Formats: sequence, structure tokens, C-alpha cells
Amino acid sequence: MTKTGMIDFRGVNKWFGSLNVLKDITLSVEPREVVVVCGPSGSGKSTLIRCVNGLEAIKDGDLVVDGQRLGDPATNMTQLRTEIGFVFQSFNLYPHKTALENVTLAPIHVRKIPRAEAEKAGRELLAKVGLADKVNAYPAQLSGGQQQRVAIARCLGMRPKIMLFDEPTSALDPEMISEVLDVMVAVAEEGMTMMVVTHEMGFARKVAQRVVFMDAGAIVESGTPDEFFSHPRTDRSRAFLSKILRH
Amino acid sequence: MLENFSFRTIVEYLPLFGQGLVTTVWLSALSFVGALIVGIVLCAMNLQRGWLFRAPAKAYIDAVRATPLLAQLYFLYFGLPRLGFVLPELVVGILALSLNSGAYIAEIIRAGILSIPRGQVEASVASGMTYVQRMRLVVLPQAFKVTIPPLLGQAIVLVKDSALLSLISVSELTRAGQLLASDRFMPAEGFLTIAAFYLLLYYGLKGLAGLSSRWLGTAGART
Repeated sequence: MTKTGMIDFRGVNKWFGSLNVLKDITLSVEPREVVVVCGPSGSGKSTLIRCVNGLEAIKDGDLVVDGQRLGDPATNMTQLRTEIGFVFQSFNLYPHKTALENVTLAPIHVRKIPRAEAEKAGRELLAKVGLADKVNAYPAQLSGGQQQRVAIARCLGMRPKIMLFDEPTSALDPEMISEVLDVMVAVAEEGMTMMVVTHEMGFARKVAQRVVFMDAGAIVESGTPDEFFSHPRTDRSRAFLSKILRH
Repeated sequence: MLENFSFRTIVEYLPLFGQGLVTTVWLSALSFVGALIVGIVLCAMNLQRGWLFRAPAKAYIDAVRATPLLAQLYFLYFGLPRLGFVLPELVVGILALSLNSGAYIAEIIRAGILSIPRGQVEASVASGMTYVQRMRLVVLPQAFKVTIPPLLGQAIVLVKDSALLSLISVSELTRAGQLLASDRFMPAEGFLTIAAFYLLLYYGLKGLAGLSSRWLGTAGART
């Protein structure tokens, strides 16, 4: 038995109907570790991280997050989710709430933090992601990059132990990608445990301790960013890298 | 032709039309509130996972939508007393409109809730909200906004449907027209006048819809 990480996949399988979307996944993410997950579309990388906070249920195998086994009746999923921030590709900000309200909603109602305190923390977080002047803006008034930064601040407002990012820059215009990545780098450097589905190689090289390459629902290769990008070991990963690095 | 059209008689009957108008307005308003309550309850039942609540709600909605309002009204007015429930005609009228409109409103609210993108639910689930919290804080406030225009549409339908209550001798607006038509044999005057009043009510409700959509403003805008 391996030692217990912050996130521990042990022989995890998942099917969508007859499609085996996660095949015998074994992966352990240590506290403060940043793991980048990449692979072609449909390879199961989004499904993989969506399992971590139970947005997808696993079929068999064990998935232990922060010491709690998912699917175990003793695990309070709602409670566990408060420890896990999730950043979506499409931001999913609440359109009827201002940036500040987006950040404070869960802290006030879920964490039961007094409103004044939550708002103070919320303002600080928005300042941290460079949006001090957008506190009262509604999502519709913000650019994609700004919305994604609010979304990251919204997760940080819960003071999570783990942050999951599902292709956080894929829906953004090129010039907005770096402003979001800068925020993610800052979060990583503060020692957050992170799983990031992304093809941003610069980000991976800068902060990731490990890159995991998935194909057809299985982890094909895993290694340090340098190993993976410079010396991919499998034909599948070489073919994939030749496509994404060409541009 | 037009020389036969008696404006004087219309003026003479104005107090009657006025009373009818007032009755139509308040019984419609009351019925709409009732319909909202019926609709919310039906919709909540319909959104449950188990069939225990969902099946009766669906059966009720189908039954109401498949049968004429007049038949429903007659069942309540003539049928219920035979089963031992004798209610005043006004109560029967409001009950019929509430029960009928409620079925449509249930579907309007359900459509509003289902129109909220999945990502909104996922974001609130991911932040650790309970079912009640995400409905109250995230889904319903957004659903409410998209629901207002079709709800006002339903309110307009309800006002027009209330004309059927004239058939169970509720003295509302249409009944006033019938009285003029039968007392003086002036159906043109009677029914044209009530048409004008219904048009007035329609514009009132439409203005309300316009106001509310302006009030929604940017806060509800989707990205």
C-alpha cells in the first residue's frame, strides 16, 4: 500500500454507459503538489478531476480525498466540497450577483462567516487577482479573463485545501490567458494542492511538479514537466506533443 | 347602420360596466395569486426525483391542459354540489381559475428552472451548498427573472378566461355586456364596450411586463 496523499486514486474505473472513460486510474497527489493533467480531448482528463469533488461518481476503485473516502456513507460530501475549489472552463459565475457577491456567497451561507468579515476577505481576494476596481461589477460587465479571475477568487474565498482547474484558459482570448495563468501561478506558489487540466506548457514548466498524460481514459505517462516535454517516453505522447507544440 | 349604435345607452350602463370591471380585476388578481401557489406546489412536486410526487403532479397538469376550462368550471359549479360541496359561485369561479391556471404556471416555472445552465448548479454544488441553498441563492433568483414575461402572458390569459365566469352568473365584466345585450337587445354596444375594457386591462398588464423587464436590467444579463 502506498502512502496516503491529499488526493489518492487507487484503481479507479468509471463508465458512461458502455464507454470506459476512466481505466484503472492510480494516482496520488501530495499536499502542496501541483499536477498538470493533459491529453487529447475525450481522454478523460476533465472526468478525472470532476471525480475528485464528486461532480462525477466513480464506479469502482477507491478515491480518497483529504483522508475521506468518496462514496463512503461516513463521508459528508457537502462538507468535503467546501475544502475543494473548482474552477470551470466556462467560469460559471452567478450572473445575478456582483463580483464581490460571487466571492462571498458561499463563505457567508456555507461557511457561516459573518457578512462584514466575508466582504473584507472578498475585497482582499479580488484585489489579489487584480480586480479591486471591479468589486461591484456584474459578470456580464467583465471580460472572460476577468470573470475567470473572479471565479478563482470565489474558490479561494472558501480557504480550500485543494484547487481543481478544468481547462481554465481554454475559453479565453489569447491576451487574457496570461492574466489568469499569473493568478494560478501565485496560488500555486502559496503552496496550494492543485490538479490542473491544461495544455499551457509554460504554466506546467513553471509550477507543476508532475505532468500526467492521459489517453482513452488511462494514464499513459507521468513525469516531471522537463522529462515529459523534452523526452516523452511513449509514441502516443510524442504524437500529442508534436501537435500542440508545433504552433 | 351606425345611427343605430347607441352611445347613450353605453353611458347609461357605465356604472354596471365599472362594477363588472372592478370584479374582473380583483377576482383575476386573487385567482392569479391562487394559481401561483398551485403552480409552485405542482412544480416542486414535478421536480422531485421519485415518482411518488411527480406522477400525481404530471397527471394533474395533463388533465387540466387536456380538458376545456368550461368543462372544469361546470364540474366545479354543477358537479361539486352533487358530491356534497356547496360553494358560492364567486368562490367556485376563483377556484376554477386558480386550479386551471396553476397547471400552466407549474410548467412555466419548471421551464424557468430548467433553463438555468447546468454550470450554475455545478458551481454551487462545488462550493458545498446544500440543495436548498443552491435553489434559494442561485437557481430560483435567476429562474424568477426568466419566468416573469411568460407569467404575465399567463395573467393576460387568465383575465380573458375569467369571462367564462359570466356563465355561472358571477357579475363580472362580460356579464355586464350580456345584461346590456339582453335588457335592451344591444349586443353590439354591450360586447364592444367590454372588449374595450379588456383591451385596457391587457395594456395595463403589458405595461407591467415592460416595467419588470426594465427593472431586471443588467443584473440578470447572461454572459
